[in-house]
Amino acid sequence: MKKRKRKSFLIEIFGLLLALLWLSPFYLMIVNAFKSKRDIFTDVLGFPSEFVTENFVKAYIDLDFTKSLFNSLFITILSVGIIILFSAMAGYALARNKSRLSGMLLLVFVAAMLIPFQSVMIPLVSLFGKADMLNKTGLIFMYLGFGCSLSIFLYHGAMTGISKSLDEAAIIDGANKFQVFWHVVFPLLKPISVTVGILNVIWIWNDYLLPSLILPDSSATIPLKMFLFFGQYTKQWHLALAGLTIAIIPVIVGYFFAQKQIIEGVSEGAVK
Amino acid sequence: MRNRDISFWLFLAPVILSLSLVIMIPFLYGFVYSFTNWNGINATEFLGFKNYINLFKDAEFRASIWFTTKFAIVSVILLNFLGLGLALLVTQRMRTSNFMRTIFFMPNLIGGLILGFIWQFIFISVFGSIGELLGIEALTGWLSTTATGFWGLVILTSWQMAGYIMVIYIAYLENIPKDLLEAAEIDGASSFQKFKNIIFPLVAPAFTVSMFLTLSNSFQIYDQNLSLTNGGPYNSTQMVAMSIVKTAFTENKMAYAQSQAVIFFIIVAAVAVTNVYYNKKREVDM
Amino acid sequence: MKNRKSFFRIVSIMLVAVLALVGCSSSNDSGNDKEKSSEDQVTVDIFQFKVEIKDQFEDLVKVYEDENPGVKINVKTVGGGNDYGGTLKAAFASGDEPAIFNVGGPSDVEEYRAYLADLADTAAAEAALDGTLTAVQEDAKVLGLPFNQEGYGLIYNKNVFEEAGINVEDIVTFEDLQNVVETLDKQKEELGLDAVFALPAKELWVLGDHISNMFIAPEFNNDIQEAYHAETIALEKGDELKRYLDLQNKYSVQPILSLDYSQQVEQLFSLEKVAMIQQGNWVYNSVYDMDPDFAENGIGILSVPVEGFEGHIPAGVPMFWAVNDKKDDKVVQASKDFLDWLYTSETGKNAVLEDFKFIPAYKDYDAEKISDPLSKQIYEFAEVGKTIEGWVYQATPTGWNQETLGVNIQKYLSGDMEWDEVISKSIEKWEAERQ
Repeated sequence: MKKRKRKSFLIEIFGLLLALLWLSPFYLMIVNAFKSKRDIFTDVLGFPSEFVTENFVKAYIDLDFTKSLFNSLFITILSVGIIILFSAMAGYALARNKSRLSGMLLLVFVAAMLIPFQSVMIPLVSLFGKADMLNKTGLIFMYLGFGCSLSIFLYHGAMTGISKSLDEAAIIDGANKFQVFWHVVFPLLKPISVTVGILNVIWIWNDYLLPSLILPDSSATIPLKMFLFFGQYTKQWHLALAGLTIAIIPVIVGYFFAQKQIIEGVSEGAVK
Repeated sequence: MRNRDISFWLFLAPVILSLSLVIMIPFLYGFVYSFTNWNGINATEFLGFKNYINLFKDAEFRASIWFTTKFAIVSVILLNFLGLGLALLVTQRMRTSNFMRTIFFMPNLIGGLILGFIWQFIFISVFGSIGELLGIEALTGWLSTTATGFWGLVILTSWQMAGYIMVIYIAYLENIPKDLLEAAEIDGASSFQKFKNIIFPLVAPAFTVSMFLTLSNSFQIYDQNLSLTNGGPYNSTQMVAMSIVKTAFTENKMAYAQSQAVIFFIIVAAVAVTNVYYNKKREVDM
Repeated sequence: MKNRKSFFRIVSIMLVAVLALVGCSSSNDSGNDKEKSSEDQVTVDIFQFKVEIKDQFEDLVKVYEDENPGVKINVKTVGGGNDYGGTLKAAFASGDEPAIFNVGGPSDVEEYRAYLADLADTAAAEAALDGTLTAVQEDAKVLGLPFNQEGYGLIYNKNVFEEAGINVEDIVTFEDLQNVVETLDKQKEELGLDAVFALPAKELWVLGDHISNMFIAPEFNNDIQEAYHAETIALEKGDELKRYLDLQNKYSVQPILSLDYSQQVEQLFSLEKVAMIQQGNWVYNSVYDMDPDFAENGIGILSVPVEGFEGHIPAGVPMFWAVNDKKDDKVVQASKDFLDWLYTSETGKNAVLEDFKFIPAYKDYDAEKISDPLSKQIYEFAEVGKTIEGWVYQATPTGWNQETLGVNIQKYLSGDMEWDEVISKSIEKWEAERQ
């Protein structure tokens, strides 16, 4: 028994050391974000010789952080909201229609997941450019297109657990199809909505390539702004690291508040 | 709901509209344009397979396919090894296991672009100065050669995604009946025997799931590639996704880039279909 | 469970709020809402490449807006490890076109021809120094206005040279340079140097644009237009180029392929770890940020010995301002007015000299006011006619310099390619592109 205790103690120590190693990139980022340019070149590993908080102020201004944070939030919340609503509606309709057609449609949605983004990127930009839709609105619409497949698939799977008798009861009470969906079915889909929401938030919040092709500079999101510090000729590490730190903060805050749901949601999305 | 119900179509309208405008139509468009001299605005002549023929002659594109494949294979092996290891570690009964789970999973939530920049700093400045301190030549000049660029990308993505794969394995590990393990223990099985005879067979499906995820992810990596090496030195660490973006938006060869994109699709789809096929087959065998 | 409930409630509230927002938000965030702005307000979008002057330029724009209340100017500066050209292309492809943007030379002019307004009638075009417009002139049309002049060569550490007993005047031929480098290398320890040079082989623009240009330009008589129409290139001075690269590589801080501009200039040169770097007057601000005293008193520039052009400095116009002809006439006019003001008004001139620290490409500037020693020296070279005009690399087939020649040089330096192959492959590509 004693031997076992020691063994599990050793495993725990090993695990904690590994966790520290996992965190080390963040530690190095933060420590160096407080150094002057000169300090970074002369001593990367040590503590700052003096804490330069100015880096953060300058990086915040350079990133136009208030505005880019708002842009990121705006695009993410709107896109994810639309994906949840429309995918749930589609999942519901497909699950309640037991015909060959709906099976086909579901297959089309799943097949669309096989198409990598780069394969449609060039014509997409050119088509939406012609329609004058290279802006936030266009981007949100595109996210619906790219995000709905997986979401519909998840909703469709979750619908099997919701009995048809509920719908029928509501119809007898005089509700129309949409009222049934909105008041009866959608609330029951809550758990899966959380999963769908989390998966899409992680993806859209961090997405770089699509918005970089679509958004005008005035609506740039946080990842797009990151390139500022990596000028064509100069790399401003002291500012870049401060900027990176600032950019990560919202994510860490969100993670802190909803880590259980996030981990569960991600695992659910993957395993299904 | 029946097919002829207007409500059925109303419920589906938004997603059908967006899917066709965003994926289906551009996909078909792109396929057609890859046989022309399209410059992003208009196409004046039909070239047949000329773009594709040039593509197979293009040493750089071949190199990027090969580099991506190597990267995908190494990543899949390393990620599954790490993911399973971490999952076994955090499912031990420990006070800190929840804390560990949180830490290992964290890099996943942050965008690949941002992580790439952080690691660029680590590989170049931090590795360099550790190398100087300890006199280890191998640590200096990271990202300056194809090999260090390759391993840099592998390290970055492994660190980023291991927590994700860990979460998948945990889901399966937690489904293993406890009494089975206890029974084995009473029979005096060693940890290794338990792993070999109980855990591994029951976790095998997780391997298929995560293998597919890691494969398709590694094939499509772009952000990390851009921020970590930007393809350097001399475009030798450029993956297929980056090659397509560069050809299209830097060199302005839209049709040529689109033909790369078609080949890219064929590869990614082949990987996915093979995977689905094997899954189905295994389920039948069970 | 409880947690989940409230979490979900928040999400649904957000959703409702969001859906309410959809209706009223999407109407006014498009990239081109110029028509919607009030009648007399003109908006000019500027898309410029010089990261080094980003802040100073934005400040100057504010001054202009205060002086001209009817004009609103949005500045977008694209540094970015990703190149300006690519981003500009994307902007044009996406319909988010700027009113004022930058072009580099004949190849860019060719690409954007449909968008280039004729600027011959501007005061700035009048004032441009002789020879600075060659790259953008077509018949009587002037399609761009020079940004500034820049020059490059070997920037050296005066203190180190003095300590090692080297007289700069004595460095004329390549052999002279070689001797100096060897002398410095022998005394590395005493001088506190890591190496003599720092060759940033990670930067394709250093290898493909600047270094190569010195050995390619003579072939085209230093004439941009001639290079632009050339169907082939012989790389006559290939051996000289190799010799020069080998010298830098041999005596450089290693490994060179991960060495970038920032390490070269800020880390190694500014902290006095290397004696010489091949760069231009644009490094002054970076050095100044690291060590003001060293920047003001400790650095000088000398010419790279190219046979037949010893003692000359390559100087030229790196980029031009172009005005987008496809915009409303009002916007085009406002753009021209702004550029005129930038280069010909007193306020503009002062900013160009003192804030941007440019070497002006226009007449009627007070050379005494050129604030940094490197620019001053280059201006002096120009005054005595010791400059090589014509940055031919702006007139090579698109992408050839960096993606072909630069990449091949990288391969050579890392031992993956023989020099003969560098030459033959680069010539091949040139011819294929110019068919």
